[in-house]
Amino acid sequence: MVAFVVRRLLWMVVVLFAISILVFLIFFATPGVDPARQMAGRNPSAETIKSIKHEFGLDRSLPVRYGLMMKHMFISRDLISYGSHTRVIPEIVHAAPVTLSLVFGAAVIWIVFSILTGVAAAVLRGTIFDPFLMILALIGISIPVFWLGEVVNLVTQSRFHDTFLFSWVPPLGYTSLTEDPFMWFKQLFFPWLTLSILYIGFYARVLRANLIETESEDYVRTARAKGLSERRVLFRHTLRTSMITFVSLFGLDFAVLVGGGALLTEVVFGLPGVGLLTYNSLTSLDLPVIMTTVVYAAFFITLASALVDLVYAWLDPRVRLA
Amino acid sequence: MAVFEPEAEGIVLDAEETGGDIVGRSPWALAGRRLVRNKLALGALALFVLIVAVSFAAPLYANHVADTNPFESNISGTVTIDGKTVDVLQQGGGKLGLGETPIGPTWRSQYFLGADNQGRDVAARVLYGGRASLEIGIGSAVFASVVALIFALVAGFFGGWTDAIISRLMDLIWAFPLYLLAISLATVLLTSPNGLTISFVHVSADSLWIPLVIIGFVYVPYIYRPIRGQVLSLREKEFVEAGIAQGASNLRLIFGEVLPNVASTVIVLMPLMIATTILTESALSYLSIGVQPPKASWGTIIQDGQELLYTRPWVAIAPGIMIVLTVLALNILGDGLRDALDPRSKVRVKA
Amino acid sequence: MRSRSLFQLLTLIGLAALVLTACGGSSKKKSSASSGNSGGTLMTVAKGAPSGSPDPQINYTLQEWQLLIISHDGLLAFKRTSGTEGTKIVPDLATEVPKPENGGKTYVFHIRKGIKFSNGKELKPSDVKYTFERLFKIGQSPNAGTWYNVIVGGDACVKTPATCNLSQGVVADDAAGTVTFHLTKGDPEFFDKLAVPFAFILPTGTPNKEVQIPPPGTGPYKFAEYNPNKQIKLVRNTNFKEWSKDAQPKGNPDEIIQKFGLSAEAEVTQVENGQADWMFDNPPSDRLNEISTKYEDQVHVNPLTAVWYFAFNVRVPPFNNLKARQGVNFATDRNALVKIYGGPKLAVPTCQILPPNFPGYKPYCPYTKNPGSGKWTAPDMAKAKQLIAASGTKGAAVKVNTDTVETDKALGLYFVGLLNKLGYKASLQALSPDIQYPYCQNSKNKVQFCWSTWYQDYPAASDFLNILLGCGSFIPNSNASPNIAEFCMKPIQAQMDQALQQGITDPSGANTKWEAVDKAVTDQAPWVSLFNPKYIDFLSKRVKGYQFSPQWYFLLDQASVK
Repeated sequence: MVAFVVRRLLWMVVVLFAISILVFLIFFATPGVDPARQMAGRNPSAETIKSIKHEFGLDRSLPVRYGLMMKHMFISRDLISYGSHTRVIPEIVHAAPVTLSLVFGAAVIWIVFSILTGVAAAVLRGTIFDPFLMILALIGISIPVFWLGEVVNLVTQSRFHDTFLFSWVPPLGYTSLTEDPFMWFKQLFFPWLTLSILYIGFYARVLRANLIETESEDYVRTARAKGLSERRVLFRHTLRTSMITFVSLFGLDFAVLVGGGALLTEVVFGLPGVGLLTYNSLTSLDLPVIMTTVVYAAFFITLASALVDLVYAWLDPRVRLA
Repeated sequence: MAVFEPEAEGIVLDAEETGGDIVGRSPWALAGRRLVRNKLALGALALFVLIVAVSFAAPLYANHVADTNPFESNISGTVTIDGKTVDVLQQGGGKLGLGETPIGPTWRSQYFLGADNQGRDVAARVLYGGRASLEIGIGSAVFASVVALIFALVAGFFGGWTDAIISRLMDLIWAFPLYLLAISLATVLLTSPNGLTISFVHVSADSLWIPLVIIGFVYVPYIYRPIRGQVLSLREKEFVEAGIAQGASNLRLIFGEVLPNVASTVIVLMPLMIATTILTESALSYLSIGVQPPKASWGTIIQDGQELLYTRPWVAIAPGIMIVLTVLALNILGDGLRDALDPRSKVRVKA
Repeated sequence: MRSRSLFQLLTLIGLAALVLTACGGSSKKKSSASSGNSGGTLMTVAKGAPSGSPDPQINYTLQEWQLLIISHDGLLAFKRTSGTEGTKIVPDLATEVPKPENGGKTYVFHIRKGIKFSNGKELKPSDVKYTFERLFKIGQSPNAGTWYNVIVGGDACVKTPATCNLSQGVVADDAAGTVTFHLTKGDPEFFDKLAVPFAFILPTGTPNKEVQIPPPGTGPYKFAEYNPNKQIKLVRNTNFKEWSKDAQPKGNPDEIIQKFGLSAEAEVTQVENGQADWMFDNPPSDRLNEISTKYEDQVHVNPLTAVWYFAFNVRVPPFNNLKARQGVNFATDRNALVKIYGGPKLAVPTCQILPPNFPGYKPYCPYTKNPGSGKWTAPDMAKAKQLIAASGTKGAAVKVNTDTVETDKALGLYFVGLLNKLGYKASLQALSPDIQYPYCQNSKNKVQFCWSTWYQDYPAASDFLNILLGCGSFIPNSNASPNIAEFCMKPIQAQMDQALQQGITDPSGANTKWEAVDKAVTDQAPWVSLFNPKYIDFLSKRVKGYQFSPQWYFLLDQASVK
């Protein structure tokens, strides 16, 4: 067991290292990228550019530059952004709570509603509600999240903003929880709903499929034969088993979102989280920020998948042998 | 374990038809029958085919119905509605007269859904956009499936170091945050101003191949994993051992025995993959790193519509509705295919 | 079920929030003791912090300059008022504008006494020397090597910044209270260069490395906070006493805040609701109709001394052919381009290099139907086709290069269509804004037709003509070669040099020469000039005292919120 854990953690480090190198190469291979020139402003002299190159270590060889960047990121933790000339790590620290607020809120909503929907569909199997709910779920996963966000904005900010339904909706943006909890809530309400619709659909279907599959297992038939009520069968047996898949999938999705995967939602709703930071850095080719956000995101993904594998290994002794 | 229902499997019927002899049908035929009985899936297939047909008929619409070139700016153009000549882009109101607003939906043959910021016919663009989105969606799903299939067959069949290396590589791609990988690749490839030249292949910077290959590449691990798992288990099965005993070469085993059994997984995955790739392409185009102007895809039109959201919402709404309908149809179809091809997944317990 | 009660709880919270906001008040206003115009907080919003370093000697953005002019001072300043008066040079930290001595190679400034920095230190001439040496020492000042190397010792400082010594070029005499500048040659723009933030005086001892917040200054405000992720905050400099209303007037608000992170759409909504007083960014095009009808008293539109253009590459086919360039100019429908930008109220078509109301400007437009009035009226397609046929360049492949901003791409797409109509094979190449400008500048990339813009640094014709089309501004194979058109004609350059020389002693005579240069360059068609844009200032209801300076645009501290 210990060997397994160690192996997975080592693999995590390898993956982060490989991804950081990949990102580094991708961006320095981009023709036309000249961070020193970008930083130098409108009409610089050649000497200014040279001086900036030297200041940021851009005149060294590729491996040295990579090493310097890693050192600044992890050891001295004073990596400077090419765009704002301020430290990158505080930028991410500042952006993380925004993403966490968005993702936690959406997760609460989607867990609750997907369990409700999935269980309802499974229990109401055979009636018209099952396919109806599943079509709703399918619609949920068929809507592009950025488009949905735009439509939500159209309705709440513009078309119906003056009605009682939406006049409370504040302009897009983010206020921190400690600064003004009510504004925090109001500004995040629609982003939460928008982000969660996709996941409600997906998890409702997953849960329903799992519930139905476990329904046909022998031990469930035995439980029924023993005379247990449907409700008991549902909660004691089928739901618990189905939750394993649910939880492992959830862990991965949640990790992706925390790492900046809610990029589109943040862009559409103007939330200054890690996703938006990532997107801005990519379009402005701000390599230090790109590198830091990619490592940040990859870290969560690999951590989550390692944890999920660990949980499976703990639950199922056969897996450990793999 | 499914409850066996002879009527649905068509076996009993055939026995009646052929007067008592029980005629078995191939699994594919059985699957086909099951699919046909699934009205919802059929409806979804029909919808998808309709959308494809309409999108590929875009040139017909543009030339004969709307009489427009939807890729050319038409800023100073005019259009005649009910005998009145109207500017396609109209100056803003009030004393200040700021801004230019394109005309809204005319609900007629010309500018049916109105014009966008450059005076182009939105309806025609939505149809052309469908073509691009579908080409990239289907193309990248096929690309991903083919690449994943090859790698999975090789890795699963040969095992050992081959499997280890390929699987680790796949894990690496999978661990790379999806959008970051797609955005990074797209940014780099699009910046290369003269396009991409790999030996004798030259691709211009605005070619549809670039988003196609990028999206396909990103989704290879998603298809690779389940197929490899299946190949691994198939390799241990008796019919493969029998093949080896008969002296069949590896190539024949892979293509003759393993591949057909894996095919159904790929087929079931295909509509779902296309749905995913269409969504991904629209997201990348929305972020301006997918399809490049003046070409249109549903994602780019939504991006165009962002600036007009509060004044001309149809520009953003129309392509979005198309995406939802297409992806929904594909998802329903995918479900139907899975139910048809994998009887174990379908359970009908009659109370 | 548990989830139901959770839902009820959420609903309750939502309702509570609704009730509280209905009762809640508007933005917190600081009430100050004094009545009248003074006091309050001017709340401004912008999408992001001024790009680049916060250091006043490095930052080259208008966004930051608007704040630096009220926190710092130079020896001279542009008169802090609206209209053409705002282009005049007035003395600021100096007692008067010195007369040029020694053929314009020597200027003696007398420094005012009794001026204090916000840290309490008194301003001395040696601070001036320190400031100019720092300009070179930090190594990243964009114009150190192009503007300020006119100071004796400047070139050596550019080569070896660390040991920069300007004791020959900037002689500071604390006892006499004077600073004497020695220049390598006469420079008609020297005063303009002293009046921009690069040359604003900093206290001796400011670190010779890029700083993260502007250092103490002599202006009526000081920077209290500079967080590029959150906001900039300026508060009153209690050590400030107004010495010249023209150069550095006392400000009205007690505090000026600029918050970041909102999209332009959200900013418009905030200004409409009174939650913000002014937005730095231009309102997005789909709100323009809304603000010009419902909020027209709060909108101000002002012409800018700026030009939007597409530069031909005059050294690479097909546009190394004069007739081809002129043909495209005749074919361009500048009205359509104006429409793309937002309509005739937001942009004015132009055919020439210099913008209106600029020194050396005389209306001139040869590329129109019925030329002669100096104004562009309509494209002349017939003439265009004639010229292009005569040029023999038909069928050539052309890449139209723009960045990925919607408006700029739209302009590019217009030209793709136009060039195709004229018989070329045109396609669009849109690069990220952070790459596009240096990419076009580098002759290695052989860009044929490139979108660009130029906004004045200061009101001098050479800022447009010499910097963008002078022989010295074309540096082959460099990412920093502002002469994108790669244009260099010896006779025209000679005219420019003459005008520069004359400008030292006879500015108005020089301007006549610049008119001729503008005409000559326009005739050579190195560009397709599109239009001169205007700037929209959208203010909240409570803002009074709006002034627009041609140099600094909206004068933030001259407005009042009380």
